Amino acid sequence: MSLRDLWLRIRNTARDTSADAEFHAEIEEHVRLLAERYRGQGMTEEEASLAARRQFGNQTLLQEDRRAMKTIPAIESLLGDLIYAARTLRKNPGFAAAAAITLTLGIGANTAIFSICNAVLFKPLPFREPDRIVMLWERLATGALMTVAPANFVDWRNESRSFSEMAALNPNYSFILASQNEAARLAGAAVSSNFFSLLSIQFALGRNFLAEEDRPGHNDVAILSYRVWQERFGADREIIGRQINLDDKSYTVTGVLPADFEFGSRAADFQPRNQGVGGDQFLVNAAGDQFDIWVPIAFNTERLKRGTHPLRVIARLKPGVPLSEAQAELNVMATHLANQYPADNRDKGIGAVPLKEQATGAVRVALQMLLIAVGLVLLIGCANVANLFLSRAAARRSEMAVRVALGAGRGRIAQQLLTESLLLVGIAGGAGFSLALIGLAVLSPYLPADLLRAGGVRPDARILAFTAFISLASGILFGLGPLFGTARAQAGEWLKASNRVAGGAQSLLRNGLAVAQIAIALMLLIGTGLMVRSFVKLIHVAPGLRSEGILTARLSLPRSRYPDNHRIAVFERELLERLAGSRGTQSAGFTTYLPLSGSDNGWSFVIEGRPPLPTGIFNMAKYRPVSAGYFETLGIPLLRGRSFTRGDEREGSPWIAVINQSMAREYWGGKNPIGERLSFGSDTWRTVIGVVGDVRHEGLGGELKPEMYVPMEDAPNVEDGPTLVVRTTLDAGSAAAQLRELVLAIDRTMPVDRIETMDQLLSRSVAQPRFRTFVLAAFSILALVMASIGVYGVINYLVVQRTREFGIRMSMGATQTDVLRLVLRRAGALIGAGTCLGIAGAMLLVRFIDKLLFDTAPVDPLTFAAVPVVLAIVALTASYIPARRATRVDPMIALRYE
Amino acid sequence: MSKGRRGENTKSEVLQGTLDLMILKTLHAMGPLHGFGIARRLEQLSQEVLHLNEGTVYTSLLRMQDAGWIAAKWGASENNRKAKFYSITKAGSRQLAKETEDWERISRVIGRVLRLDGQN
Repeated sequence: MSLRDLWLRIRNTARDTSADAEFHAEIEEHVRLLAERYRGQGMTEEEASLAARRQFGNQTLLQEDRRAMKTIPAIESLLGDLIYAARTLRKNPGFAAAAAITLTLGIGANTAIFSICNAVLFKPLPFREPDRIVMLWERLATGALMTVAPANFVDWRNESRSFSEMAALNPNYSFILASQNEAARLAGAAVSSNFFSLLSIQFALGRNFLAEEDRPGHNDVAILSYRVWQERFGADREIIGRQINLDDKSYTVTGVLPADFEFGSRAADFQPRNQGVGGDQFLVNAAGDQFDIWVPIAFNTERLKRGTHPLRVIARLKPGVPLSEAQAELNVMATHLANQYPADNRDKGIGAVPLKEQATGAVRVALQMLLIAVGLVLLIGCANVANLFLSRAAARRSEMAVRVALGAGRGRIAQQLLTESLLLVGIAGGAGFSLALIGLAVLSPYLPADLLRAGGVRPDARILAFTAFISLASGILFGLGPLFGTARAQAGEWLKASNRVAGGAQSLLRNGLAVAQIAIALMLLIGTGLMVRSFVKLIHVAPGLRSEGILTARLSLPRSRYPDNHRIAVFERELLERLAGSRGTQSAGFTTYLPLSGSDNGWSFVIEGRPPLPTGIFNMAKYRPVSAGYFETLGIPLLRGRSFTRGDEREGSPWIAVINQSMAREYWGGKNPIGERLSFGSDTWRTVIGVVGDVRHEGLGGELKPEMYVPMEDAPNVEDGPTLVVRTTLDAGSAAAQLRELVLAIDRTMPVDRIETMDQLLSRSVAQPRFRTFVLAAFSILALVMASIGVYGVINYLVVQRTREFGIRMSMGATQTDVLRLVLRRAGALIGAGTCLGIAGAMLLVRFIDKLLFDTAPVDPLTFAAVPVVLAIVALTASYIPARRATRVDPMIALRYE
Repeated sequence: MSKGRRGENTKSEVLQGTLDLMILKTLHAMGPLHGFGIARRLEQLSQEVLHLNEGTVYTSLLRMQDAGWIAAKWGASENNRKAKFYSITKAGSRQLAKETEDWERISRVIGRVLRLDGQN
């Protein structure tokens, strides 16, 4: 068939009525002439007309032949089927609405979850050959991963053969960018000069760092993020080569990153994942600052240490080298380094994690769980629609019988039934897609921030294809199901059976569907039960502080004006004094690492008078420089001794520390640690003056770790700006405004940011578990409702089918209770079978969500006992409605039924 | 009553393809004709030997129109009614020549075969 011909046929298919009419007229004329001739031969009018028609043959067939020749018959019959299907759906609005709503919800929910998965898990990272990029970590004997010491990084880079390139990043930088109006604190990172080339980044403007700029003394150059270039420099294209002022130091801008560059936009990219431990599902991620300023890392000999671990390392596998081979090489290297530097590298391995896994590790399990859950919801929905179709197929038995008797082939009937279901999923798919987009747009502000990459969730071809695919798959699933039941029967049987009793195969299918629905719903509900239980346990963990009424704010003190701890302390004291006299303030204090904020630090320490530990083994404790008033403000209880006072901060006062309960227990057992001395970082001995309660610093689900607090003024190695904590009776808004005012009154250019209440921090710390628990719960409830409707449908159908039988039974003396029992027994059998299957399935499935459960056993007896009971009650209630109807049957009417 | 299949079959079913050939020849010989006219001419020529559902003429006409062997034009019939007149095209003439030759060759062969006597 030529293209032109095809086009003509398509056009004809669309509109061929005039040609049709012409052809019809031509034929009519022929028949008329024939009849005229017969009349001339002496036939009567009637005889002549009949003879003419006989002589001419089948006119309709001829017309159809012509159409088949001139158009595309399959499309034509499809159009016919579509119109017919639309008409049938319109004639059964209840049926159509029930099916369409069920499918729309199912498809919409699937599309929404898929969109999130697509954005977070499936989209390739925007780097060249992202699959070959890995992150390297130091690995402790426990399997936990940790950040990398600079000297180790340099050794890895020099010795490894498996990687074509290796680059380092230190995220612990921040810069105060001065401009005329205000100073802002910008998150920054230092990178080795090959960092951007390893990722293959095309700069929006300018160039990458040169190798010679990655040396001490030559490194006063900076690369800007696209955002900061737009917002702070007015997208000035002349920025390259210009000097900018960071921390009162001058840097030359060499380049601007592209707008879509998003490495490190989420803290998850930078936290060493503790694979296998699973505890990181409940830890807080640092508030994800976008890095705005990038500078060369410029290692110097002083910085090349093995004892501090600030680095994140990325590496690109050489072509053809599999990860396993690279890992084997790293293992050999690690052993070598451990022998060479036992003090720092004893028992340490090197862990390689594919970048993709690194970026999605924590949310992967939860998203996969939700994707499976929502898929199961759609399956239940499909089963419901299949049941609807089955019931309707039974009602349309006579219609089908007539069609078969008139010569419709089975394929033709299948095509028509499929057309109906495809029309339905077409509508539901479109509606579901829109529903998902609207839903995501409405809900995205409430999604946990670090669930999403910088790009967010956007509709794309992949999502559209997914929606189309699941729509089509569901359509075929429930469209073909009924066919197996109906198409098998012969036309004669159909006519005879009229609409009395469904075939055995059909009722088996129907019951099977109901059982499967219950089983799937139960699995989802058990999953939800576990998640809810885990979540309730999680939020009932005592944080170790009183969060209500606390406002926190981060201050940034530029090094140029606050070069040492003394200057900082003067500022802090001044601010605390002003705060003390301000409206609503009950108490206030400073800390460096705010609980639940994701920022943290730890030090190894030694205790006076204890035997030295073997090389490479350390006592580790978290390190918390705080001011006087900190414990009182956060409500951290003092258990022993005393806490810090203003006097402790004066110069010449003794070196002291306050430790937490866990540290006291772990290192002093039952003994009193007060008066004992410990040392870390420097050679100074600090006397323990008090013991305070434990705080869940890393999140409610985090472990309790030894913590040592020191007065801020004599705290070494503070990387972060101080965070102010204020206990106030004002509402958060006015407290924040007052706070900003007070700070600016002392230092007009000091950036104040991350103003948040402790309650907000607490709430955000459980955002991920809350999100997955709520979404799963929503799906499970949807599943429960759908499954109940499914059971209702099956029992209702049964009651309708057996109305006559019930009538007879009751006229023979059966009581209402007998009939009720009869129906409910059937329902009970379905529910029982579904429940058993569901429990078995849940037992198998729960181990996949093990990691997502906090302090809850996957096979939690309470959940496994209670949830099936709830489900059974709901499902039995659903079947009680039609069952009661069965008992109200009037025997006389029932006997005349049909 | 089913068509064809009568016991004393004096009329033969028209073979697919031969009808095309006959119609082409008719148009070639008679010039433009409408469907009814073609049917009459065929009836006359076949001397009632061929049984023809006249509707099939139109199937054939449509097919040959598609193939480009004939062309159709609206005109007035003898009694001044609107009718569609079919005429043979150049391609149709070529096709006719080719098919005539084929037909004659085949019928010669078949004739020879049918004339064979038993060779004992």
